[in-house]
Amino acid sequence: MRFAIKQVSCGSERIGTLTGFFKSPSTVIETPTAALLTQGGSVSHLTAEVLSKVFTTPQLLWVPVSNSLQLEPGMRAQGQGVAKFCGLPEQLVCVTSHNMSEPTPPGHFELEKVPLWTKNGKKMVSAERYMDLMEVYKPEIILAIADGRTSLNEGYKRILKSLDRTCNMLDTCVYRYKASKKLKESALIGVVVATGMPKKSNESIKHVLTHKDTLTGVALAGVTDAYEESDILAAQKLGDIFKTVGDALPKDLLRVVEGCWNPAIIVAAIEHGWDLFDGSYPAKLSNAGHVLTLNFDPDRLSYEPCVLDLNDERYKEDFTPVLEGCECLTCKKHTRAYIRHLLNTREMLSSVLLSIHNLHHFDQLFRHARQHIAANTFQKYKKHITKQYEAYNLPHSANGVTDVKTDISMNGTEYMKKRLRVSDDEIPTSQVVNGSL
Amino acid sequence: MGAKSLALSFQIKQECNVSRARAGLMKLPHYEVKTPVFMPVGTQGTMKGLLPDQLESLDCEIILGNTYHLGNRPGTDVLTKAGGLHNFMGWNRALLTDSGGFQMVSLLKLAEITEEGVKFKSPYDDSEIMLTPEKSIEIQNCIGADIIMQLDDVVQTTFQDYDRIKEATERTSRWLDRCLAAHQRPTEQSIFPIVQGLLNKDLREQSAKEHMTKDVNGFAIGGLSGGEAKDDFWPMVSLSTGILDKHRPRYLMGVGLAIDLVVCVALGVDMFDCVFPTRTARFGCALVANGQLNLKQKIYETDLDPLDKNCSCSTCKNYTRAYLHSIVTVETVACHLISVHNIAYQMNLMKNMRENIENGTFPQFVQNFVREYYDDCEYPTWVVESLSSVGINI
Repeated sequence: MRFAIKQVSCGSERIGTLTGFFKSPSTVIETPTAALLTQGGSVSHLTAEVLSKVFTTPQLLWVPVSNSLQLEPGMRAQGQGVAKFCGLPEQLVCVTSHNMSEPTPPGHFELEKVPLWTKNGKKMVSAERYMDLMEVYKPEIILAIADGRTSLNEGYKRILKSLDRTCNMLDTCVYRYKASKKLKESALIGVVVATGMPKKSNESIKHVLTHKDTLTGVALAGVTDAYEESDILAAQKLGDIFKTVGDALPKDLLRVVEGCWNPAIIVAAIEHGWDLFDGSYPAKLSNAGHVLTLNFDPDRLSYEPCVLDLNDERYKEDFTPVLEGCECLTCKKHTRAYIRHLLNTREMLSSVLLSIHNLHHFDQLFRHARQHIAANTFQKYKKHITKQYEAYNLPHSANGVTDVKTDISMNGTEYMKKRLRVSDDEIPTSQVVNGSL
Repeated sequence: MGAKSLALSFQIKQECNVSRARAGLMKLPHYEVKTPVFMPVGTQGTMKGLLPDQLESLDCEIILGNTYHLGNRPGTDVLTKAGGLHNFMGWNRALLTDSGGFQMVSLLKLAEITEEGVKFKSPYDDSEIMLTPEKSIEIQNCIGADIIMQLDDVVQTTFQDYDRIKEATERTSRWLDRCLAAHQRPTEQSIFPIVQGLLNKDLREQSAKEHMTKDVNGFAIGGLSGGEAKDDFWPMVSLSTGILDKHRPRYLMGVGLAIDLVVCVALGVDMFDCVFPTRTARFGCALVANGQLNLKQKIYETDLDPLDKNCSCSTCKNYTRAYLHSIVTVETVACHLISVHNIAYQMNLMKNMRENIENGTFPQFVQNFVREYYDDCEYPTWVVESLSSVGINI
């Protein structure tokens, strides 16, 4: 896989392409873009059949090992990699160790190992084991394993450990990557940590760049442990980090941002030349029953909030689509009232319809960003998106984003349990066989 | 019959020349349904995680909604404003709703049945609610399904008190008259009476004969599939289909196991519904020719076959048993995938039966089916007896 910059705007924002995929040579993925977050190898709540109704061309899937490790025996038996095993053979895959947006217990590190919190409990994973797994996953993009789940307020000692462990692990990943015949078609991404402390951050960047010739890109970690809120203050600080780290990197490296960032933070990262994001934000919104309704036209004033909570009683008789004019299947065929009913009755179709809209709309956010970069109007677009977010956060002030975070910080299993507790129509299993409900 | 026949017309295309099976076409306001048909149950206005588009791809022509649930949530106000359930859920094909009576008895311990109706405590706010035949029809008129059910007096199938069963059977007939009188949309919706009488031959006969005198477009056979022995079950189906007019469709409520479908089609039933295929999917069970696969079992961990090699559903085309094993009961996607397959299995079975009836090969189809279904060749007595009663020998 190759990354190439196609166009640089007047600022640092840029349009690039990912090409040269071994299994689909004609596919071009334009950046900046977001991958689609997966759970157990499937795009959250969507089967291959439904996914093909949302995207007609191959997409980049974001596959955390932490929520897909249980696939290992099957993948090994089949030997054709994670995408094929998960029924999505045409899709392209970026594998990472954690789902950055899912809070996990702190600590539990061992010398050269990182804890992954899987469906079967804690698994300690070393760089060696991680690279063994990569030969099984066979992804297009590998994010090197790192100890990067630290918040911006993390203590000095913890940051030192994080940096030290990450450097050692990257050395192992690079060594294994170069030696592996099976990973010839995969691209390796190094991870920068300790980004909340400028001095340590520089050390991390310096170390990653010692492998510059091997790496296709660099990912940014060390800015969240998935617990804290992305409030206005954090947004300011993050903007500075995007800039300083971005400026310190050679232009030709793909720049990856992990974490559940809202569109205002995403446009700030794009402004500083960051290219690829994980798709955890729309997934979190969907799990909470929220929909993204950004207005993408900077010349049209917007008074509508850019996130709606469809659990709200106010949508009970609202027979309009989630977003007027949206081209997604959810908006073309269903109403807010119907989705509210599905949420209210805890029906699984709610998550499907919400995911379809949120994934489509999130993709549009990037599509419009690329158009504005191409037209040299990105600043205007950025302001337009940021303003909508500020307006959305104001009324609930402190708990604007927090609301979403706490509501939706359930992990997959709890979420599934909640969804499977099929409310009122459940009857004892004894009656199921001949059930006549 | 003039006005009512607009809401339903039933044409028998071919009858089996051995058994009572028949293939037909039931024209409903929203869709023309090929019978015999299996109707998946979408309790609350949705089919367990599947899009209406997916149901269409699976060739579902009619699905079921539950009046009790829909009357509570979203409620009749919302449904009326939405222009009925079809609009509300984005489903353009046919719908059938039950009367709500069954849920009241099965879910609510506090239900009290009187001549007026079923009195029960609301599970939401503890207030007392009375579901009368008139109220049931009023709600079903709001929902707007193509076929709606009369409110019947439901007694547990295995209940033995003759007087109570007699009372329920006769009351069901009286409630039918009240339902028909209350019906506001006879040109768009057909009320089906429900043949009651549980396992009592005389009462069931009386119920069926009484319903036959009414001006209705089809009949339901109720009070079965509630835990009774199979040896008690099939004679009641046979008795009912033997009395009911053959020019109108017959709907056997709550039946959906593959072997039951095959036997009851042979006995002359045209329509079935059951939560079983989608519910068992949520527990990780997939339907196959010789029964079920429980995908939670470790033996599937590295099994790279599809659920069923002969199935052409989107699940079997894209996914292995090994993958489903690794996400089953953890990811919602696993539910969706197995539900798709299980519905495809039911649809495919019905399609095979229709085609074999039309081709005059239904008896052979049944013989082959039974042989494959019981791969240990131990055929239950009820299967052998029920099929031989209509001339199919296993």
